[in-house]
Amino acid sequence: MSGPLDGIRVLELTDGTVDYCGRLLAGLGADVVLAEPAEGSPSRAVGPFLDDIPGVDRSLAFWADNVGKRSVVVGGDDADSGDGADSGDGADSGDAGLLALVAGSDVFIHTLRPADAARRGLSFEALSARLPHLIVCAVTPFGQDGPWADYLADDLVLMALGGSMAGCGYGPGPDGRYDTPPLACQEDQALRTAATYAAIAVLAAVAWRGEGGTGQLIDVSAHECSASMTEWHLMTYLCSGEIYRRGPHPTLTGADGRQIAALTPDFLGPHVFTRMLEMLEADDVAGPLSDPAFADPGHRARNYGDVWRALKRLAEKHPAEELYRLGQKAGLPWGVIRAPEEVLDDHHLAARGHFVALPHPELDRTVTYPGAPFVAHGSPWVMQRRPPLLGEHTAEVASEWARPTTQPPR
Amino acid sequence: MLPTAADGAMALEGLRILDFTRLGFGAQATLICGCLGAEVIRVESTRHPDAIRVMPPFVPDPGAKGEGFGAATLANAAGAASANRGGIFYKYNTGGKRSITVDARHPKGLALLKDLVAVSDVVTESFAAGTFARWGLGYDVLQQIKPEIIYVSMCGFGHSGPDVSHVTMGPTAQALTGLTFMVGLPGRPPAGWSFSYLDHVGGYLGAVAILTGLLHRRRTGEGQHLDVSQLEPATALSGALLLDAMLNKRPSRRADYPTGNRRLHPPAAPGGAYRAAGEDRWVVISCRTDDQWHGLVAAIGRPDWTTDPRFSSLEARLAHADALDELLETWTSSRDRYEVMHALQAAGVPAGAVQDAADRLERDPQLAARGHYTALGNAEVGPLPLEGVPFRMSATAPHTGGILHRGPPLLGEDTTAVLGELLGITADEVEALATEGVLS
Repeated sequence: MSGPLDGIRVLELTDGTVDYCGRLLAGLGADVVLAEPAEGSPSRAVGPFLDDIPGVDRSLAFWADNVGKRSVVVGGDDADSGDGADSGDGADSGDAGLLALVAGSDVFIHTLRPADAARRGLSFEALSARLPHLIVCAVTPFGQDGPWADYLADDLVLMALGGSMAGCGYGPGPDGRYDTPPLACQEDQALRTAATYAAIAVLAAVAWRGEGGTGQLIDVSAHECSASMTEWHLMTYLCSGEIYRRGPHPTLTGADGRQIAALTPDFLGPHVFTRMLEMLEADDVAGPLSDPAFADPGHRARNYGDVWRALKRLAEKHPAEELYRLGQKAGLPWGVIRAPEEVLDDHHLAARGHFVALPHPELDRTVTYPGAPFVAHGSPWVMQRRPPLLGEHTAEVASEWARPTTQPPR
Repeated sequence: MLPTAADGAMALEGLRILDFTRLGFGAQATLICGCLGAEVIRVESTRHPDAIRVMPPFVPDPGAKGEGFGAATLANAAGAASANRGGIFYKYNTGGKRSITVDARHPKGLALLKDLVAVSDVVTESFAAGTFARWGLGYDVLQQIKPEIIYVSMCGFGHSGPDVSHVTMGPTAQALTGLTFMVGLPGRPPAGWSFSYLDHVGGYLGAVAILTGLLHRRRTGEGQHLDVSQLEPATALSGALLLDAMLNKRPSRRADYPTGNRRLHPPAAPGGAYRAAGEDRWVVISCRTDDQWHGLVAAIGRPDWTTDPRFSSLEARLAHADALDELLETWTSSRDRYEVMHALQAAGVPAGAVQDAADRLERDPQLAARGHYTALGNAEVGPLPLEGVPFRMSATAPHTGGILHRGPPLLGEDTTAVLGELLGITADEVEALATEGVLS
């Protein structure tokens, strides 16, 4: 069965920051081609590497975000856009091959600044004049315009400016002073958010274009994407003038020293406390909570310390994984804090068929990847190709994409 | 500047979503579709309003000061002035969503909902698995009503699998998938996130699921059930960590990981958050190349650092990162965080102030210039600076107020209009249904 983007050609020319966008589109069945310079896309130089041996075909960072794509080497030495750096040597003859690929595509995703795109004949105005059907998606740190449009940003800068970092980290010391900085999550979360929004915008543009319709320019600002998170922080400030300050979150430490996230979302209704009390009483650790006075939410709020001490008594008796399941049995949204790789053993994800093993024949091994981001019962996720070797598909794409692209019916 | 379509066309115009989502995760998905032009009709209940409609922070009366989210308990949730004051509702329900109230447990209410399904393209919900089916609106029923219906369920563990009965909120799913673990300093317990990151990410993938259903239906004429959880969208967020653990036998649960704000791939030195002038003010700086390093030392007036053998190459700087961080912080700590950011950016060095919510609203000229916030309100709540989708489209411009250009709905404010427009029910008939308790 083919995916909903079957027949849609996507060309990516990126600095390696938003490769995840094309990976999502490939999973939906698009023919995604990565245009790379002779030395490889910048993400191929990012570690860690297989067996810790560097090489263009050994980057695990590249593998993670490029499953399902094909690779084409385009001539010239200027195919990357390199963190906003301008190689500044005028129009590049090597771009002829690139322009031919753009002409054969439905969607062109790039990370070029406006000036760099214009210099290379890749501005939306220049392209759309010849290729009115073309959807161009430019993903840049700050967007195509605005006072910071030329500023540089990696994920850390985006997490800082976007606001998610300010609230994350450890609480202050006993003197009230913060002795540790705000913390940003590892593995490029702001850029992944930008890549995901780019995919959403591309899907919407494809849906609108339909058959014979026109393309358009999508302008994704990673800064705005990053700033769109933080759930309740902005509204809290708007409503109360309060700024959330870094501090501890509700966690319990199990008998084995591992922790769980232990939310007790009282605001969801009285059943939350009732079932929690049953759990605590079954383990003989409820203590004062068995006093009927605790049925009153106001009393609970005033005596929150008693609630928390009872939960700690429970935690001391159980290893974290067991504690997690005890809480879940009582209807509490508890979760054991796992290291990322520990999800590989999750029986629930396994039963949903999430992980997919792909053969890497040239290495004579099979590698397991995270698969579909949701279960689509009518249009299963397309995941057959391992990440491409550098230039592996240069010849075949040149011949296939020389034929005009076909567009799906609207 | 971008060319803009004069006719105000929107990408998902004509797509009708009957939306039963609650809280953040599901509502984020339909917010995105609404901003892209879909008609989103929230089906709500007056007896069991969405928790984020009635829990703090509350939008105060003009000029008054409200209460923060930190105090959200059942005790003060009961103190909401109305079901239109919960602040977080306003975060997740832009996109021009409309609101109707219908009691699904009333036979006539259920019949109305089925009539609405028949004229909708998509049905979305975010209840615990099985709840919607118990209402009598499972996918089998939806399919009977309209075979090509696109049904998108969004709940923590999804609708299948051994732990299907588990309940989640964003922080639960973040713990289970490694995202909590990935924020922290080595040798200390995970610091985690201070908000439900996976409510956002799950919602983004919920929007992808809705669009997937739409494109698949265009191609095949078929509907389907798309089952979105908060777990699957998260596994790709740990990047190469899974592969590194599996293939190189390097688990991320190890003594020197996570590395705080330092990044191992690609590495930066200096790289991290540095104390700036003021109380708990910080600025991040990230130098990955020699050009950026030379820009940095020039900008801060320390050209002598370039001849220091400890800093002669990126490799050397990484080996002496602690010493370098300490030296750099003596420069940053007496300066305003924005002054540091602009001085370094002018020298070609990636740098940025650590901004909080107030900074983003009041001190970020880039967000302002991009029109990141749109002032929208409703009959009860005055205009608030609200967010929609963080991208532009030249031919089909998204709008934070959706196709109707309006703010988040009052509970049930569109009941009469929607039942009239879509089902031909007159205002008098609506009145009678309300009297019978069907519209509660």
